[in-house]
Amino acid sequence: MSNPRPSPSRVSFASVTPNNLGTVRKLNAVLFPIKYSEKFYNDIVHPDVEDFCQLIYYSDIPVGTMCCRIEVKDGQARLYLMTLAVLAPYRSRGIGSESLQHLIDTAAAHAKPKISAIYLHVQVSNSDAKRFYERHGFKEVGLYENYYKKITPHDAWILQRDIQPVKAPEGK
Amino acid sequence: MPPAGIPPARALPSKESALFKEVLHYYEDRQLKKGLKAADTILKKFPNHGETLCMKGLILTHMGRREEGLELVKQGVRLDLTSHICWHVFGLIQKGQKNYEEALKSYTQALRFDKDNMNILRDAAHLQTQLRHYDALVETRHTLLRLRPQLRQNWIALAVAYTLSGNLIEAKHVLEQFERIVKNVPDYDVEMSEVLLYHVRILEDLGEHAEALALLDSSAKSRTIIDRVAIMEFRARLLSKLKSPEAQQAWQGLIEQNPDCYGYYNGILANRGIDLDAITDETRGEALQVLHDFSQQFSRAAAPLRIALTVAVGDEFKALIESYLRSRLEKGIPSVFTDLKALYRDAAKRETIESIAHALLDSLAHASDAPCPRSIDPATYVWTLYFLAQHHSHLGRHKRALELLDTALAHTPTLPELYLFRGRVLKRVGDPYGAARWVDQARLLDLQDRFLNTRCGKYRLRAGLIDEAVEVFGLFTKKDAASPAQDLEDMQSLLYLTEEADAQLRLGNYAMALKKYVGIAKIFDDFEDDQFDFHGYSVRKFTINIYLNMLKWEDTLRSHPAYVHAAIAASRILVRVHDDPTVTTKPASQSHLSDAEKKAKKKAKKAEKKVQEDSKKGASANSTNEDKGLDAGPPKDDDPDGTKLLQAPEPLERAAKLLKPLSSLTKDNLEAWFAIYDVAVRRKKYLQALQALNHAHRLDPDSPELHIRVVDFKRRWSSLSDKPAESVVDVVSSCLPKLIPDEVSLELFNSQYLQRHSSRGAAILAAAKVSRALDAPREEVEATVFNTLNADVELDLETAVAIDAFLSEIQSPREDEFRTACQQKFELSSVFAPREEVPALRRSALQQGIVDGNESKKEEMIS
Repeated sequence: MSNPRPSPSRVSFASVTPNNLGTVRKLNAVLFPIKYSEKFYNDIVHPDVEDFCQLIYYSDIPVGTMCCRIEVKDGQARLYLMTLAVLAPYRSRGIGSESLQHLIDTAAAHAKPKISAIYLHVQVSNSDAKRFYERHGFKEVGLYENYYKKITPHDAWILQRDIQPVKAPEGK
Repeated sequence: MPPAGIPPARALPSKESALFKEVLHYYEDRQLKKGLKAADTILKKFPNHGETLCMKGLILTHMGRREEGLELVKQGVRLDLTSHICWHVFGLIQKGQKNYEEALKSYTQALRFDKDNMNILRDAAHLQTQLRHYDALVETRHTLLRLRPQLRQNWIALAVAYTLSGNLIEAKHVLEQFERIVKNVPDYDVEMSEVLLYHVRILEDLGEHAEALALLDSSAKSRTIIDRVAIMEFRARLLSKLKSPEAQQAWQGLIEQNPDCYGYYNGILANRGIDLDAITDETRGEALQVLHDFSQQFSRAAAPLRIALTVAVGDEFKALIESYLRSRLEKGIPSVFTDLKALYRDAAKRETIESIAHALLDSLAHASDAPCPRSIDPATYVWTLYFLAQHHSHLGRHKRALELLDTALAHTPTLPELYLFRGRVLKRVGDPYGAARWVDQARLLDLQDRFLNTRCGKYRLRAGLIDEAVEVFGLFTKKDAASPAQDLEDMQSLLYLTEEADAQLRLGNYAMALKKYVGIAKIFDDFEDDQFDFHGYSVRKFTINIYLNMLKWEDTLRSHPAYVHAAIAASRILVRVHDDPTVTTKPASQSHLSDAEKKAKKKAKKAEKKVQEDSKKGASANSTNEDKGLDAGPPKDDDPDGTKLLQAPEPLERAAKLLKPLSSLTKDNLEAWFAIYDVAVRRKKYLQALQALNHAHRLDPDSPELHIRVVDFKRRWSSLSDKPAESVVDVVSSCLPKLIPDEVSLELFNSQYLQRHSSRGAAILAAAKVSRALDAPREEVEATVFNTLNADVELDLETAVAIDAFLSEIQSPREDEFRTACQQKFELSSVFAPREEVPALRRSALQQGIVDGNESKKEEMIS
């Protein structure tokens, strides 16, 4: 089940499950300056977010993760992108872009619930990341002051991209 | 049934006689309840009627009341010793108990009183095959054919019997006769096709190659042999043997069918007079040209490329290996080192591979904390590091290997292979605890990978963590099994049984170790029993060729490494028990009983209770018609910790039985000869013991273990109180001096050996053990052993561990000194750590979680 799907490109994806959670923990430990709680790990293996919590493989090696949660407010469902990162040596070869595009496509095709937007936080010192998301249609919609408690700078941009749902195939 | 001469005790009045026929009838139809009722009716009037008693016993056995049934059958046989029915029934029961020898005896008795009974003859034939009584088998098959010549399988069965007894000419005649008279064979008949292939095979084995080819070709043309691949393979082989010019084309055709079959390349090259196993400078060029042409023709085939690596030398090898290695590392094939390892026997090739791999690594090197340059593939870099780590560790450069692995892990911390191999390197340098910890890390990366799980269990066993090993094995075993261990044993997991037995032995739990070793031996008994059904099935279904191969394989079954290891290790335990019976009563085994074992014991008891209740229920409500068959079910385990097994009488006889197959199957195994010697000499089988020493001497005259045993033999022999038979004395006095000269004293012999091998650690240990046996003072023995620490002595880890065990055995006060010295000498090891630290080391192997220290340093926490 968690076997990466064959892909014409060398990038492939597999859902996060309790079985490969160790790989996610390992990646988070080296990728982020942040410690994630057990609640985080419990949430990302939930079947509802299966499509949006993915391991990213390059040549069948797990090199990154991408984890979202679904937030419903006023009947509108948005995806909050909690983590998206690729191991340092594997960066700058389009793996992140392909992953983000995969996420956007999956979100657009998702029916229950329909996803209206994807948003995320980026630390204000990380302008590379900001540019990356802007290339993929994200826009700065606000600033979250003191988002980070211990690491500096404390503030984070809020970036968001609206999702146009693709029409469901006829007969459904 | 014989019409006349019915003994009066067997004769029944007509009413009961009819009833008895009904019993037989009911039994045939498996209407057990009715059969039992009818038998009881007869027995009411004639309680001593042997045949009825036997039939009742047989029916009860089928109903699951085995002991009661067996008693009745025995009683019945005693009451009517000349009834074929009684003997047949007895034979059936014994066959069900897998007691083939006795069953065959009963069948032979039955045939004395009813010599043409087809059923009995057929069963007897199966038993004769199982027991390899091939001459008797030919007789039986002849009788069957005479009785029923119209049955095709009877002809084939006779040919098979002749083949097995080594009489191929008669087998050929039978098949020729059969083919002449057989009629109405449907088109594309698989059975006939198999028979004809079998016929071709016999002709080939007889060396009648032209006849074999003629039969093959005509049968292929008439489409009576329909196995296309077999036709091509037989044809190519026969043409080669006939030195026909067509052979080349035939092999070519096979390679076109399957360009990855090594055998075809052997064939086509052998046909050109090139022996792949003995390439010379004359044949090398031609072989490489042929292989090169094929690799051009079949660009996706690996076989011609890989074979070329074995054949090529020098610059040619260099050119070939470079592209071979590079393409595989670029594809990320994890097993490429395993694939190439066989080439390492050649030092020049080894060095070429090393320099090429390092050159490749240099061209790929990049930092692990920044994006890798676009011209480089980061995955190829990781696989190259992995390959080189295996390379260096294989050559004993473990530190180098660890450095490479650490570089790879910093670059890509998510590849399980890296963790697994880091564990393996640590195991090799004598750190079983660190090894277990690293392999567990690999497992945590992907919990549903059973390979990683099994590795983790194995490494935990190596670290002496038995409960914890069983715990991880349990993640993949059946949930309704009595225990993970039981399930693995039922699934015949040789790996698990071997590793657990070895682990128990290291912990000094002889009972449990012996139980698991014997469990391995039992699995091989099962393998042997499993062939039984095929003696009937294969002849009936005409799957003869594969059946003959299987019988040959069964004959060498116990040369399997797992059996050899188990038999030797078990025999050592049993010898120990013989030498010091107190080891069987030491409380060690009880107090060693781990939590998991205790749990398993409880569970087993519960299960047993349930079985008993069930059988009680079955007995009280025996109204069921359910047929439980004749095969005795698995016996219940009334010895969960192996104590009874360890305490059972005649340890040496049991050891001898386990070792018996080894003397013919593993002639090149020194360890096996030593085990055979150890048992034989204690059983006072001096000739067998001496023969074992001679075999070992032929394999390695300088072997340290042999030295110990030669002295041991001489000591035992010269202090014998009652002399053995004169013939034995003659042989020993003529053979022994070849192993140890008569004129020198044992002490001198020992010191000469020590002098000759003063730079070999294992030899020094052997000499020390011998002087200990010759009652040298302990200080002197210790001094000898400590010489192994000298700089000019070759001392490997295994020997160092053995020396430590020896010092412990002789209660040397210098053991700690030795361990400390070893800890320095084997700097990466943990096996020589002070004993009080071992529990902490074991625990360290179980470090929970996958992320290490740096996680706790992080301040920011997101929930």
